[in-house]
Amino acid sequence: MKQKLEELKVLALAAVAEAKDEKQIDEIRVKYLGKKGELTAILKQMGSLSPEERPVMGQLVNSAKAELEEAIAKASKNFKEKAAEERLKAETIDVTLPSKPATVGKLHPLNTVLNDMIDIFQSMGFDVVDGPEVETDFYNFEALNVPADHPARDMQDTFYLAENLLLRTQTSAAQIRTMENRKPPIKIICPGRVYRADEVDATHSPVFHQIEGLVVDKNITMCDLKGVLEQFAHEIYGKDTEVKFRPSFFPFTEPSVEVDVTCSECKGKGCRVCKGSGWIEILGAGMVHPRVLKACGIDPEEYTGFAFGIGLDRLTTTRYKISDIRLLFENDLRFLKQF
Amino acid sequence: MKVSLSWLKKYVDICVPVEELCDKMVMAGFEVEEIVNLGENMKNVVVGKVVKMERHPDSDHMFICQIDCGQDELVQIVTGAQNVNEGDLVPAALHDSYLPNGMHIKKGKLRGVPSNGMLCSGEELCLTEADYPGASVYGIMILKPDAGVPGTDMKEVLGLEDYIIDFKITANRPDCQSVLGIAREAAVVLGKEFLEPKPCYKEVGEDISDYITVENRNLELCPRYHGRIIKNVKIGESPEWMKQCLIAAGMRPISNIVDITNFVMLETGQPMHAFDLRDVAEHKIIVRNAEEGEKITTLDEKEHELSPEMLVIADGKEPSCLAGIMGGLNSEIKDDTTTIFLECAKFRRDSVRKTARKLGVRTESSGRFERGVDIITVKYAMDRALQLIEELGAGEVVSGEVDLNAGLPEKRDLKVAVDDVNALLGLTIPAERMVEILNSLQIDTVLNNGVLECKVPSFRDDVEGRADIAEEVMRIFGYDHIIGSTMKGSIVRGRKLPERIKADGIKAQLLSNGFNEITTYSFIGSKAIDALRLTDDDARRNAVTILNPLGDEYSTMRTQLTTSMLTVLGTNYSRKNADAKLFELSKVFIPKALPVSEQPLEVPALILGMYGAEVDFFALKGIVELIVSSFTNRPYTVEVANEPYLHPGRSAVMKLGNDTVATFGEVHPAVAADYGIDDRCYIAEIAIDKLYTLETPRVTYKPLPKFPAVERDLALICDIDTPAGALDKAIRDGAGRLCEKVELFDIYTGSQIAEGKKSMAYRVTLRSAESTLNDEMIDNAVSKIMKKLAAVGAALRM
Repeated sequence: MKQKLEELKVLALAAVAEAKDEKQIDEIRVKYLGKKGELTAILKQMGSLSPEERPVMGQLVNSAKAELEEAIAKASKNFKEKAAEERLKAETIDVTLPSKPATVGKLHPLNTVLNDMIDIFQSMGFDVVDGPEVETDFYNFEALNVPADHPARDMQDTFYLAENLLLRTQTSAAQIRTMENRKPPIKIICPGRVYRADEVDATHSPVFHQIEGLVVDKNITMCDLKGVLEQFAHEIYGKDTEVKFRPSFFPFTEPSVEVDVTCSECKGKGCRVCKGSGWIEILGAGMVHPRVLKACGIDPEEYTGFAFGIGLDRLTTTRYKISDIRLLFENDLRFLKQF
Repeated sequence: MKVSLSWLKKYVDICVPVEELCDKMVMAGFEVEEIVNLGENMKNVVVGKVVKMERHPDSDHMFICQIDCGQDELVQIVTGAQNVNEGDLVPAALHDSYLPNGMHIKKGKLRGVPSNGMLCSGEELCLTEADYPGASVYGIMILKPDAGVPGTDMKEVLGLEDYIIDFKITANRPDCQSVLGIAREAAVVLGKEFLEPKPCYKEVGEDISDYITVENRNLELCPRYHGRIIKNVKIGESPEWMKQCLIAAGMRPISNIVDITNFVMLETGQPMHAFDLRDVAEHKIIVRNAEEGEKITTLDEKEHELSPEMLVIADGKEPSCLAGIMGGLNSEIKDDTTTIFLECAKFRRDSVRKTARKLGVRTESSGRFERGVDIITVKYAMDRALQLIEELGAGEVVSGEVDLNAGLPEKRDLKVAVDDVNALLGLTIPAERMVEILNSLQIDTVLNNGVLECKVPSFRDDVEGRADIAEEVMRIFGYDHIIGSTMKGSIVRGRKLPERIKADGIKAQLLSNGFNEITTYSFIGSKAIDALRLTDDDARRNAVTILNPLGDEYSTMRTQLTTSMLTVLGTNYSRKNADAKLFELSKVFIPKALPVSEQPLEVPALILGMYGAEVDFFALKGIVELIVSSFTNRPYTVEVANEPYLHPGRSAVMKLGNDTVATFGEVHPAVAADYGIDDRCYIAEIAIDKLYTLETPRVTYKPLPKFPAVERDLALICDIDTPAGALDKAIRDGAGRLCEKVELFDIYTGSQIAEGKKSMAYRVTLRSAESTLNDEMIDNAVSKIMKKLAAVGAALRM
C-alpha cells in the first residue's frame, strides 16, 4: 500500500508537471483527488489497516495529498496568470487613436467675465442687484442730476419708448432705485444691459453691458474709491497693475474721474493697444453727487459715497483680444466654443 | 474745441513743449483728442527771391532761375512754370526738402542743367486760395511782397509753425468752449499769469437811439440782449493773423466784420451776430416768439417755417434771425454794408436746443448756447469786438448801448470747510494750497477760521458746493495724490439675489449637458414675429416699440426669445456648424397696456435650441425634464402642444397643475425653412419666471432599501393612439406605494397585432420599505395595476 501510494504520487506529480493547460490540471485533480479519485480511494482503504499501521499510513497519505494539492494549485495559478497575461496582450489598443470627446457647453464670454467680476466684488462685500432695462426719465436722467435741458443728455443718444419711458442708457439708474430701497450702509454692484442709439460697427453696439458699483456710508472718501478699484484691477489685470485717476465729468458724481490702468499688453511701456500711452481707460467713477443723494432721501451732510461704471463688453473684448464687438452677438458656435 | 498753440500763447506764456502742455491739461480735466503739427510735412522750404531768369538752352519752356534764399550764394533752380518774373518772391524747396504732398526734393539736373531745388505751386504745398491768395493759380505760387525776407521758413509765412490742439470739453465747462477759457486753465496748470485782454475803444458820439429801437419781449428765453451800432463800416479782408486763427479753429474767413464776430466767439465763447441796418425794417429790433406760420430764410438760403415756442430776433416786419442759431438772409452783411447793429446776447439753452433740433439746424453758435453762455461775458465779448473793429479800422463805434436784461448776478458766495473737503477726498491738503488753487481759477477765496469763503464768478455756475470745490482743488493739486485706502466698517459677505443664484444653477446644468450660451439683442424687427405664424390676436404680438429705432430691424422689444434663437440656429446652420445645442437666459418685455405709458413687465425667460445628428425630440424632452425637476418635486404632465410654429405631431407642453412651464418640440419645417434650416431642429421655451417662484425642494436623505425588489414584465395591448403617458400613470397609480420604477422597454405594431392596436411592454419594479414582498402581495399589486390599465383600454397581450 505504501509503495502504491508512492507510485501514485510520482505519477500524479509528473502529470501535473506535464499538464498543458488549466483543463488538464482539472482533470488531474479529479483523477487523483476527486471523490472517486485514486488517492481518495487509498484513503478509503485505511479502514482495512491495523490500528498500529493506520496513523503512520494516514500521515503518509495526507502528506502525499497535500503535496499534490500544492503542486496543482501552483500549476493552476501559473496557467491562470499566463491566460490573463495573454488576454491583456490580445486586448492591446492604439492609445493614440482619437477620443470619444466628453462635451460640455460654454458660457457666453460676456458672462464668463461678468462672473469673474461678480466674484471679485462679492468677495469685497458688494451685494449683486438688478434693475429694470426700461426706465423712466426720472431714474435714468432726472434723479441722476441730468435735468431736461442739460447738455449732458447729448452725451448719450437715447432710445425712447414713450415720452417718459426709455431704454436705460446706463446702469446708474439702478443707483437711484437701490438708494430709495435701502438705507446706508449701501454696497452694491448692478450688472446689466444698457442701450444707446449707436450705429452698429466693430466697436459700437446699440446693446451693451455695464456693471454699476455704488457705496454709500459715513466717511467714505475718494481714497476708498481708489482702494476698491485697485483691488479690482489687481484681480482682473494682475498684481502689478497701477490705477490712475484722470479728472472728468459725469452729472451724477462730483468729483468725477476716468480711471486708467497700466496697459496689460505692454505693462505700461506703450504699444498699439494703448496707443503708446501705457494706460488703458477702463471705467468712469466719482463721488456720488450730493444732489443725487438728496434726491434719494439720503442726507449728503451725513453720508458720502462713490460710484463707478465698468463697460463689460470692452473688458471682454480686451481680455480675449476680440477685434469686433459684433462677434459677441452673432453667436457663431466656432466663436462661442473658444471661451 | 480746436485751438492753435499760437493763439493760446497770446494769453499765456507757454514755454513747455506742446506734449507737456497737453499732458498737464489732461490731468486737469481737459482731454486732448488730437494734436496736429501743421508744419509736420513741410521741411526746408523757404522764401526765395527770383534774382535772375534765363531761358533753358535745351528747352522751349523751362527757365534757369537764380534765387536768393538768404544764403551767401544764389541758388540755381530750374522751373517749367511760366508765371514767374524777376523780383518775385516764391516758395523755394531747397535740396533735401519735404513737401506736404509727400514729395522729397533733391538736387539734380533738368536737361543737363543743375537744379538745386524746386519752386513750388500752391497745390504742391497743399494750399487753397483760402489759405493763401494765389495758391490756386496754375504755376508757381507768387508770394505777397511783404511775405518775408528771403530765407524765411515758409512755415512761418503760412502760419504752419504751429500746433492745433483739439480739446474735449466736458458738459460742465461751457466756459472752456473758448480760447480764453482754455488759456485760463493752461495758465493755472503751468503756474503762469493769465494775460486776459482788457478791451478799450473810442466812441464817436451820436447815440444808438438815433439809429435803432430795441425791445426784448421775452426776458425768460433771452435773459440778456446787448447791442451796439457801428457806422462808417468798411467791409474788407481780415488781417492774416486773424484768418489763421479762424482757419486753425476750422472756420472760413469771410470779411472783417463777420470774421471779428467769429473770432470773438472763439475767443470768448460768446456768439455774436451783425445785422445790416439798412435791412432792419423800421430800424426796430424785437426779441420775441415767432408767430404761428411765420417764415424765415436763413443765411444758408434755407426757408424754415416757425412755431410760437421758437425765439426770433425780428425787425419791424418779420423775423430776421433765429435767436442764437443763425441769421436771416435778408439782413446779412454785404460788401457795401455801411452801418451795422451788433448783437451779443444770452439765450436760454433749452430754447435754443429745442428750436435747433426741430429745424434741423446746428451751428457753432447754437452749440455754444445749448451748452450755456455766461451772462456777464456778454458785455465783455461785445467790448472785445468793438476794440477789434477799431483796431482793424473796420468801422466806428456809436455811443450808447442797448442792454436789456432780467438782472445781472453778482459773484456767488460759497462757504466750505477745509476739513469737509479733505474728508471727502481722504487727504489732508493744506488750506493755504486750496486758497491758492481757487484764486488761480478766478474763484476769489479767503480763508476764515478753517472755512474757504469763496466768491464764484458767474461763468463757473457748475461750482455749487463742497464736492465741486473738492474737484477744483483736486484736479489742480493732482489726482496722483489719491492713494488707495481700505474702507472702514464691518466685514460683510456680498449676496446675490435668489434669482441670480437659480439662474447660475440652471446655466451650470445646461453647460454640463453640452449647451452653449448665446447673447442676442433685446429688440427685433417689427415683422420678425410674423415668422412664428401666430394668430392676429396672439398676445405675443403686443410688443413695446421704440420711437426712434436705428432701423426697423431693431425696432421692437421682444416678447419671446424664439425668433432670436431661430435666427442664431439659422446663422450656425448656414455656416455649416454641424451640431448645435444653444440656450439663452434673458428677459422679455410684456407691456401692461399699449401704447405704453408705464414700464412693461420684464420677465425672465429661457430658450433652448438645437439641431444635428445627436438630438431628437426625446433628448429635448429629457433636458426639459431635468430643468423642471431641478426646481420642484411636483409631478408634471405632458400634453400635445398647439403652437403654429411647432411640428403639430412632435411638440408638447409640460404642465405643473394648470401652469404651462415649458413648450417644446420640433420646429415646424416651414418655419425652420424660413430661417434657412432644412433639417429637423428643436426648441424649448421654458417659463423660468414660473419656475423661479417655486419653493426649492429641501433635500432629505431617504434610507437605502432594506428589502429586495421584484420585477414584473407586462406586455400590454391597447389602441394605437393611447398615449404612453396614460399607461405609465395607470401602472403607477395601480402599484401605489410599492411602485419603484416603471420602464417602457418595447413598442410593437405589425403583423402579430390586430389592426389599430399596439403592444407596449413594461417592466415594473415593486418594492416595499417594510418587508420582503410575498407572492400574494405581488399578485395583489399586479391585479390593481391591471384594473387601472383596463380603465384606459389596455389589457395583457395573450
